[in-house]
Amino acid sequence: MKRATITLLIVILTCIVVPVLARPAQEDTVTSGVENKKGIETVFAPLEIYIDSGDQELAAYQFELRAVSGKIKIVGVEGGAHPAYQEPPYYDPAALARDRIIIAAFNTSANLPQGKIRIATVHLQILGTETPDYEINLTVAASPDGSQIPATITLVQGEQK
Amino acid sequence: MKTIIFLIKTIVIVAILLLLYSIFTPALSRSRELSQKQKEEYERNMRAQEEYCRSLEEAEKRSAKRAPSRTGRAFMPSSPTTGGYTEGGSVGGSSVIVDLNVAPRRAGRSIPDILLPCSADEIWVIARAETAVAVVDDGETPGCGTLMGKLDDTEDEVPLPLKHTDVAGHIAGYIATVDVTQQFHNPYDEKIEAVYVFPLPQNAAVKEFIMTVGDRKIRGIIREREEAEQIYREARNQGYVASLLTQERPNIFTQKVANIEPGKAIDINIKYFNTLTYRDGWYEFVFPMVVGPRFNPPGSTEGVGAVAYGKSGSSDQKTEVQYLKPDQRSGHDISLSLDIDTGVTIEEVVSTNHVITQSSLGPERMLVSLSARDNIPNKDFVLRYRVAGRKLKSGLVTYQDERGGYFTLMLYPPDSLRHLKRAPMEMIFVLDCSGSMSGAPIAKAKDAIIRALKKLGPDDTFQVIRFSNNASQLGPQPVPATEENIRKGIKYVESLNGSGGTMMIEGIKAALDFEHDPRRFRLVSFMTDGYIGNEVEIMGAIQQKLGASRIFSFGVGSSVNRYLLDRMAKLGKGAVAYIGLGDSAGQLIDQFYDCISHPALTDVTIDWGNLEVSDIYPRQIPDLFVGRPIILTGRFTGSGETAVRISGNVGDMTQDITIPVNLSDNNAQHAGLACVWARKKIEDLSNQLTYDNNSDLPGEIKKVALNYGLMSAYTAFIAVDSAHQTDGDHGVTVNVPVPVPDGVRYDTTISY
Repeated sequence: MKRATITLLIVILTCIVVPVLARPAQEDTVTSGVENKKGIETVFAPLEIYIDSGDQELAAYQFELRAVSGKIKIVGVEGGAHPAYQEPPYYDPAALARDRIIIAAFNTSANLPQGKIRIATVHLQILGTETPDYEINLTVAASPDGSQIPATITLVQGEQK
Repeated sequence: MKTIIFLIKTIVIVAILLLLYSIFTPALSRSRELSQKQKEEYERNMRAQEEYCRSLEEAEKRSAKRAPSRTGRAFMPSSPTTGGYTEGGSVGGSSVIVDLNVAPRRAGRSIPDILLPCSADEIWVIARAETAVAVVDDGETPGCGTLMGKLDDTEDEVPLPLKHTDVAGHIAGYIATVDVTQQFHNPYDEKIEAVYVFPLPQNAAVKEFIMTVGDRKIRGIIREREEAEQIYREARNQGYVASLLTQERPNIFTQKVANIEPGKAIDINIKYFNTLTYRDGWYEFVFPMVVGPRFNPPGSTEGVGAVAYGKSGSSDQKTEVQYLKPDQRSGHDISLSLDIDTGVTIEEVVSTNHVITQSSLGPERMLVSLSARDNIPNKDFVLRYRVAGRKLKSGLVTYQDERGGYFTLMLYPPDSLRHLKRAPMEMIFVLDCSGSMSGAPIAKAKDAIIRALKKLGPDDTFQVIRFSNNASQLGPQPVPATEENIRKGIKYVESLNGSGGTMMIEGIKAALDFEHDPRRFRLVSFMTDGYIGNEVEIMGAIQQKLGASRIFSFGVGSSVNRYLLDRMAKLGKGAVAYIGLGDSAGQLIDQFYDCISHPALTDVTIDWGNLEVSDIYPRQIPDLFVGRPIILTGRFTGSGETAVRISGNVGDMTQDITIPVNLSDNNAQHAGLACVWARKKIEDLSNQLTYDNNSDLPGEIKKVALNYGLMSAYTAFIAVDSAHQTDGDHGVTVNVPVPVPDGVRYDTTISY
C-alpha cells in the first residue's frame, strides 16, 4: 500500500514536472510569421521638414535632425514641395549616425520659395514600440545674396499612402 | 531486494511516461535539438510555410472563379528532360526545392517560372540529393513558363524588369563624373523584386545613389553593409518600395529593387568618379556593360557564378549572374553620352567596340554618343581620344574643403629613357586556354604572342605556358630566342585551343615558381580575359611569389575582368593593356615592345618641396616605363607654387626630373578628388587584405567608406520610400539575365 502510494506520487510528479520542464523549450522555439507580423516592432515612416522664411526668399539651408528618445535609423532623404528644392538634398556622410543627419541644399535660380514650405522628407525606420522624439536645429538659412535670414524649422510626421 | 525491484519498476514507468510524452509532443524534442541557427531557419520556414498555405488558399479561391492558370503554385525543378518547373512533386524522387515565397499566379502576363529564384534565403530545402540534379531548360517545352515575344526571326525577346540603362558622363581633364540610370519596371501582373548584377569600372568611386518613384526622388543613405541589408529585408517584407546597392567586387555590383508594383517604374541613379588612363597622348574612357562569366575553382563559394537563364542558385556561389542563350534577347538596351572637356585640342577620337556619333563644341570640347544602332549592352564601351602634344596641360589636379587638400598627380617617365636600350629579357608568356577564351579571344591572344615572339632579340630567352584546368609549357626551362626556338614556340602557340576551366593559380605557379636568371630582366605576360571568381587568391599568390619578376597583364576580349588585370599589373609592378576584339593585336604588341625596349625608372622617390603631403597612393611608387605615366593621389596642406623633384635609377645611373606645381591654379581643380583619394585608400587597404590577415583592415575600409559616403565591400546604399506601403509583404524575386559578352561562346562558359 505504502509502495503503491509512493509509485502513484512519483507518476503524478513526473506528469507535472515533465511539462513544466518542457515549457521553456517550447518558448525558445520561434513564433510563426503571422504572429511576428502582429507584434511588429519595426515600422517605416516619413518625417516632413518645413522651413518658414517669412517674406524672404530661401536660397540655402542646413539643418541637423536627431532622435532624442526612441530608436530610429535614417533610410532615405527626399526633396521638398517647391521646384527649387525638389531634388533630394545632400547629407554629410561623415556626420551621419544611425539617428542623426545633417542635411543641406542651395539653389541659385530666380524662382525661390518664400513663407512656409516643405523642404525635405526624411524617411525613417523606427525600431521598438517607443514613439521617438526628435530634435531639429536650423543651422543656417540664407537669401540669394548669401546673407543669413531669420527662419523657423518644424517637422511633422508624414502621411503614408 | 524488494526495494530495488520497486525502484526499477518506478524508473521503468517514468521512462515510459517520458517516452510517451516526447512522442506526443514532437516540438519538445525538436526544440531541444535546435541550435540557435537552426531555430532561425525553422522560424523562417514556419513563416514561409504559413505564407505559402495562405497563398495556396487564395489561389484556390481564385482558381475556383476562373480557369486554372498555366503556371504552378509551388515551383519545383522538374526532371532534366522536361525543363522548367512543374507543379509539386520532387526531383528524381530525392530532392525537393520549394519556393515558398512565390505568390499564386493570376491570369494575364505572369512572371515566367524560369525567372523565379532559388536563392538561399528564399527557398526551403527539405532534402537535397547527394548528386545535384541539373535542370535543363530547352526553351521549347510547353509549360516551361517563359513568356517571350518574337523580336525577329532568330531572337526571342524576354520581358524583364530592367528596361533601359542610360549613361551620361562628363570628363574634365583625366577625371570622369558619370551618372548611370537604371530604369526598372514591372511588366507582369504581380508585384516583383528585381535583382540585377552589373559592372562598373574597377576604380569607380560610387558616391551617390538616388531612387526615383514616380516624380519623387529619394537619396540613398550609405550604411554598413549588414545593416543596410537588414533594413532592406525589413522594408521589403513590409511592402515598402526599397532599393539596395551592394558591391561584390570592386567592379561588380548588385542592385535590388523591392516591391515594384505591376505597371510601375522605378529609376535608380548611381553617380561615380574615376580617373582615366593616359598613354602617349591618348586618354581612354571605359564603361563596362556586362559581367563576363566567371570560373570558380571547385569548393569555392565566395565567387561569382555563371548560370543559364532561369537556373538561379545552381552555381552555389555567393553572387550569381544569369546568362541569356545566344538566341534570346532581353528588352534591356543602353544609351551613352559623353561630354569631353580636355583643356587641350582634341585631335582624334576612336571607339573600338561601338558605333558612335560625335559633335565638336570647340577644339577642346566634344560630345560623343553611342549610336542607337549599337545599343545592346554586351561589351565594354571603350573610347580613346588623342590630345595635342605628348603631355597633359597640367598633370596636377587639386581640391580643398573643410577636411583639407587632395591632389592627383600624373607622373611621366622621363623622355630620355627612349634613348637607352634595355637589358636582355627572360620573357614568359602565359596564355589562358580556358573555355571562355575559345574562339575570337584566344585567336587575338595567340596573334599577340606570335608577334611578340618574333620581336625577341638574340640575347633574350622565352617560355610559353598555357593553363585551363591545369598548366603545361613549351619546355622545362626558358629557351634562347634563336630562330629555331622561335619557330618551335610559334608552332606550340598555334596548336593551343580554348576549353575547360580557368585554374589561373596553376598558371601563376608555373610562371613564377622557377628560378630566375639573374642576367636577364624577367617579364611575365598574362594573356587572359580574367573570368575567374577567386581574384583574391590570385592576388595573394602574386604578392607571395613575384620576386624579381614584373607582370604585364593583357586583357583579351570585349568585356574582360579589368579589376583583376589592373591589380595583377599593380602587384606585379608592371603595366596593363587591353586587346579588344576590334583592336589590332600587332599594334598593341608594338606599343608594348616600345614600352619594354627601354629601361624603366626604378626605385623612384619624390621630394615634395614646400608641399606637405600625406596618405599618398600607391604607397610604393612603381617602376616608370616609357610611355606609361602613373597617377599618384594624396592629401596636402598649403598653397602657392612649388617644385616637385622625382629621382630614380636607370641601371647604375640616377635620373632627376623636376615638375613645377601651382596649387592655386583654379583651372586644375575637381570636386570629385576627395572621393577619388578615398577610393584609392580603400583599394590600398583591400590590396593589403589579400596577403595580410590584420583583422583591423575591414574596419579601416568601412570607416573611410562611411566618412566619404562611398561604396565598398563593407558598405552599401539603402533607400526606402516609407511614404507608400504596397499591398502584401513582398513580391516575387526576378533576376535580370544578361547576354554573354560579345565574342564569348555560351556553350563553353555557361555550365549550369
